[in-house]
Amino acid sequence: MSATYERFSLRQRLEHIAMMTLFTILSVTGLPQKFFEATSSQWIMDALGGVDRARWFHRAAGIAFAVLAIVHVWGAVWEVVVNRSRLTMVPTKQDFRDAIRTLRFYLGVEPSPPRFDRFDYRQKFEYWGLIFGAIIVIATGIVLLYPVLAARWLPGEFIPASKVAHSNEGLLAFLVVIVWHIYNAHFSPDVFPFDTSIFTGRISEERMHHEHPLELERLVSHSSGHTNNAPHP
Amino acid sequence: MTHALALLLALAMQPPTSPPADTTAAAAPAAAEAPAATPADDDCLMCHSDKELTTTLGNGETRSLFVDPATIKASVHGGALGCLDCHAGFDEMPHPTTSFQTKRDVSVAFQEQCTHCHFATFKKTLDSVHHVAQARGDTTAPLCTDCHGAHNVASPSKPRSRISQTCAKCHAGISTVYSKSVHGKALVDDDNPDVPTCTDCHRSHDTAGPHESDWRAHTPEMCATCHGDKQVMDKYGLSVAVHQTYLTDFHGVTARLRGSRDDSSMPVIARCTDCHGVHDITKTDDPNSPVLKANLQKTCQRCHEGATESFPDAWMSHYEPSWSRTPLVYAVTLGYKFLIPFMIGGLILQILLHIWRVVVNR
Repeated sequence: MSATYERFSLRQRLEHIAMMTLFTILSVTGLPQKFFEATSSQWIMDALGGVDRARWFHRAAGIAFAVLAIVHVWGAVWEVVVNRSRLTMVPTKQDFRDAIRTLRFYLGVEPSPPRFDRFDYRQKFEYWGLIFGAIIVIATGIVLLYPVLAARWLPGEFIPASKVAHSNEGLLAFLVVIVWHIYNAHFSPDVFPFDTSIFTGRISEERMHHEHPLELERLVSHSSGHTNNAPHP
Repeated sequence: MTHALALLLALAMQPPTSPPADTTAAAAPAAAEAPAATPADDDCLMCHSDKELTTTLGNGETRSLFVDPATIKASVHGGALGCLDCHAGFDEMPHPTTSFQTKRDVSVAFQEQCTHCHFATFKKTLDSVHHVAQARGDTTAPLCTDCHGAHNVASPSKPRSRISQTCAKCHAGISTVYSKSVHGKALVDDDNPDVPTCTDCHRSHDTAGPHESDWRAHTPEMCATCHGDKQVMDKYGLSVAVHQTYLTDFHGVTARLRGSRDDSSMPVIARCTDCHGVHDITKTDDPNSPVLKANLQKTCQRCHEGATESFPDAWMSHYEPSWSRTPLVYAVTLGYKFLIPFMIGGLILQILLHIWRVVVNR
């Protein structure tokens, strides 16, 4: 049994499970509304007990999603401001250099891939994509949930524009998860068949060495032995 | 011969809603023989041409038994049917005794006679709201003869305005409203062949109405039979995009996904008639039109309580998003049209490159 490091706190793991559940509910109840012409959409709607009930689930899950987003942002701000944690998720110039170097490595121009710290540029991209996507779907979702109220403060055209933005942003998020996240968490040769660290919270020393060498070096230099107190983002 | 011609003409002019299949069967032998009146008819008329001939029904009502042969001759059945074809069994003398209580009982009993030739049409009436009323015991529910007449059966749609007049016999209130609408006025004033009359929406024999959720659910398709027909709409300078733009809007999507599951227990989802009106439908630029910009807020408020002045702008007035009308919606739509393929394409490309590198480095 090789040594492991803590990668995700319990709170982060629970947030991921909540996110995963809500994302699934929102996709199942939301996408058939966008692709209303497909027979499978009609089928899903019927299976859920009709479009009105599906919308009820969608709205309930959406509100829970908004609460989760607030809980997450609050937690992140608390970590940074109160616990003075390192800004491991903030994109830096190095991330852009890493992205270019990775592409050069893939194309065979560079002999080796870049060496990453706690979060590589792909993980940061996905995290911030989710944050900005969440801002859009939550804001437009509120407009669509309370159109009469929204039209009191905003021009009426914001309502159909919100519908377009909400459904397209939802589709984009769905595709990113299906294509990118599922690949990186399951099908990538680096982790196949299943990257378990978001559920167990731990990552092997071997993978640390391979995927997060800079973080591993820092941890080793800070203490002579292995530590279970790896910094949170 | 002229009778046969008139009959054929009448058959040819039948509205498409009543299939001619069952009528031709009866007409064929008649067209071949074309007797003005069978000898049997003359026998009947020996008594029944008497204007004073009456009978007393069970409840004391007197019913005239006078028959004007000219009326039958002028009807669509003239020359085709003899008295006994409908009044079977009355060739016996004296006539078989009947136990009818009221005049209405007589009419109900004789409806059976129509079904001998018009069975398919009769079967359709079993699906109608009128039959439902009849089955409940409503004796005023219309029988064949109430709409078509008995001895004086004529083509029901010549002129077309005759259809709404027929329905008006019972539905007078609705008929008055309808005759003032954009459709009704064109029908009554100009005998316009393009506007819908009662039966175009409610059907003729399997008559349906809004209390049937399936009928209500199909309102958009019903309106689109004309408003989706470019040839017809071009005549009046109307857009055929109204149907498609409705179907892709929130209301339309909801209506479509609900399908025939829709019923009165669910919150109303706007279909054509909920905004435009039903029998009182007007041109959209009529000062009283509920969809005129000035009246739209009030129309929205029927469902969207508290809708403010800017709320109706949420509705894109049956137009596709465009830079000139709805720039924000247009820009957001266009933005995602580029963003989604760019983003997903880029990610897929990176995945493929990664796999390729792994394979090459093995």
